[in-house]
Amino acid sequence: MSLGVPVPAREGRPALGYWFRATWARLPLHAAVIGFAVLWSVPTVALLISSFREPSAIASSGWWTATVDTLTLDNYRTVLDQRGMGRSFINSVLITLPATALVVLVASGAAYAFAWMPFRGRGLLFLVVVGLLVVPLQMTLIPVLRLYAAMTVNEELPLLGGNVFGINSFTGIWLAHAAYGMPFAIFLLRNFFSSLPRDLIEAAKLDGASEWQVFWRIVLPLSVPALAALGIFQFLWTWNDLLIALVLLGDPDLAPMTLRITNLVGSFGSSYQLLTAAAFISMALPLVVFFAFQRFFVQGILAGATKG
Amino acid sequence: MARVLFDHVTKRFGEVVAVNDLNLEVTDGEFLVLVGPSGCGKSTTLRMLAGLDAITEGSIYIGDRRVDNVPAKDRDLAMVFQSYALYPHMSVGDNIGFGLKLRGASKSQVRERVERAAETLGIEELLERKPRALSGGQRQRVALGRAIVREPEVFLLDEPLSNLDAKLRVQTRTEISKLHRRLGTTFVYVTHDQVEAMTMATRIAVLNLGLLQQVGPPQELYERPANVFVAGFIGSPSMNFFQPVVRSEGETLRLDMHGLSIEVPARWVPGLLPYDGRPIVLGVRPEHIHDPAYLPSGVLPASIRATVDVTELMGNETFLHLDREGTRFLARVDPRTQATPAQEAEVVIDVSRMHAFDPETEQRIEAQAAPAEASGTEAVS
Repeated sequence: MSLGVPVPAREGRPALGYWFRATWARLPLHAAVIGFAVLWSVPTVALLISSFREPSAIASSGWWTATVDTLTLDNYRTVLDQRGMGRSFINSVLITLPATALVVLVASGAAYAFAWMPFRGRGLLFLVVVGLLVVPLQMTLIPVLRLYAAMTVNEELPLLGGNVFGINSFTGIWLAHAAYGMPFAIFLLRNFFSSLPRDLIEAAKLDGASEWQVFWRIVLPLSVPALAALGIFQFLWTWNDLLIALVLLGDPDLAPMTLRITNLVGSFGSSYQLLTAAAFISMALPLVVFFAFQRFFVQGILAGATKG
Repeated sequence: MARVLFDHVTKRFGEVVAVNDLNLEVTDGEFLVLVGPSGCGKSTTLRMLAGLDAITEGSIYIGDRRVDNVPAKDRDLAMVFQSYALYPHMSVGDNIGFGLKLRGASKSQVRERVERAAETLGIEELLERKPRALSGGQRQRVALGRAIVREPEVFLLDEPLSNLDAKLRVQTRTEISKLHRRLGTTFVYVTHDQVEAMTMATRIAVLNLGLLQQVGPPQELYERPANVFVAGFIGSPSMNFFQPVVRSEGETLRLDMHGLSIEVPARWVPGLLPYDGRPIVLGVRPEHIHDPAYLPSGVLPASIRATVDVTELMGNETFLHLDREGTRFLARVDPRTQATPAQEAEVVIDVSRMHAFDPETEQRIEAQAAPAEASGTEAVS
């Protein structure tokens, strides 16, 4: 078909020109983003390199002067063997995993009720839960400690060690972490759950599903990204917690890594090689968790923003 | 299979009355279409029947069972949603079999019935796929499959065709009709589209502002609309309305409007006599206004001259938008009609097919039964 109008060539140089223009236009943005990323990573890299250096090297020169052949694993060996970091790593895991699981399980049940089960006073109750978000954790420490002191069961918990409940017990600190994490967890999940299409819930009910079946077979499988994100958040908070462990776990045998490192700072304040190694050990598991689930993590931050 | 009975059912959302004292019986095996403009209460009616919305007053019976307080899951109904509401994390097969599984059917039973339902709908090869990998039409079928596999007492369909394109909609329409004939189950179907209502229903219930306006077979609603609302709602394009004044002249009655005078057919005289000297609402469907050059047989003609506003040539017919002294009306005439916009044209109203309504109550003014009138069988599309 001849239109008498020259048709512009569509392939070759125009496309390339466009690519250049687009790249140039975005160059400042990319430069800024890369710049920030580098700036943000410098302290961590410094920490990592320092943790492999001899104490004398740390004292005499900066971390950027280090070469590969001067690095050593001795610091890690010392920290893990002699300073009880191995035991406290296990303690951290024993505290964090159950506390995280407890939050995800209980909060998802509560969030389902808030999102999909109408009951009298639901709005008010949810408001109270959200209101708890603004209560500073520190304010509650003394009352909780007194309560725990009164409720302590002074018998050894089988397998895990520590008391059965109360001060110096794993069960006590699980409960404390779970309770402190609950308001945000319920808030996040309730908002995600209520963004699920109403039709799906109603279709399941007409298919004969009870509330429990709707929750278990429809809502939970569709909320995996939000549950994973919440799990990661809660894991990181609990893993990095110092305050609650400091208050509720006095027994050094039960201390998590955060507590152990703090004690290291106290007794070996100038032994940077040990502190850096210990810090890196405590970062290892969160890093693994983060990289393994980062896909969910990014999705979860956007939870509820758009309908999946 | 079961009948459904709405007994004085009212639904209020706060101050708003969504459904007002609804009395309606759906007989066993019937295809009842609830139709009306948006906000008329048709979806609320369906949701109350499904058990998704609570009833404010009255009761609903399915079969002989009063279900007012029976939760949705125990009502033995299946519903097709406008959004299809397929479970995104399950395969098509699992979607269809979900209800059976929940009701404790064995694995082999579930598989057999899912396959049978899939075969009925022609989606056997899709059973392994996830809903997101399906086209709109395929999702629609899966939603239907999920409903039929359970062999429920009553099928509920909430605007199931609205998300399909025009061609697929026509095709699925006939398929749902066939499905109804094959299953013989009671269907309750909600739509705002009167074409769907006319083509599929055994009976139509027209709702407006929460009030049931008329229930009856499609043909009856078309031929004898109970009031001005139903007259305007059923039929496409919709009915023209005029406001003539009734005037007696000896033994006969005449309708005067815009300098025209039309003689009232004899069978309308008893009904219209009390309106002597008063205005009424006269309804004439566009298909009952003809080009005098192509007059079908059996027409009782009353000639009217009007200015042509717009002509719309559809191929099989032509729409003339006409204007007579400020009153606009539409005629659906023979495609061979020659009409030029902005010029006068003569059209013929078939007075034997006219409708009359009281201007205050808007209720139908009845005519006596037509002795020799061939009952109209116009296709409505």
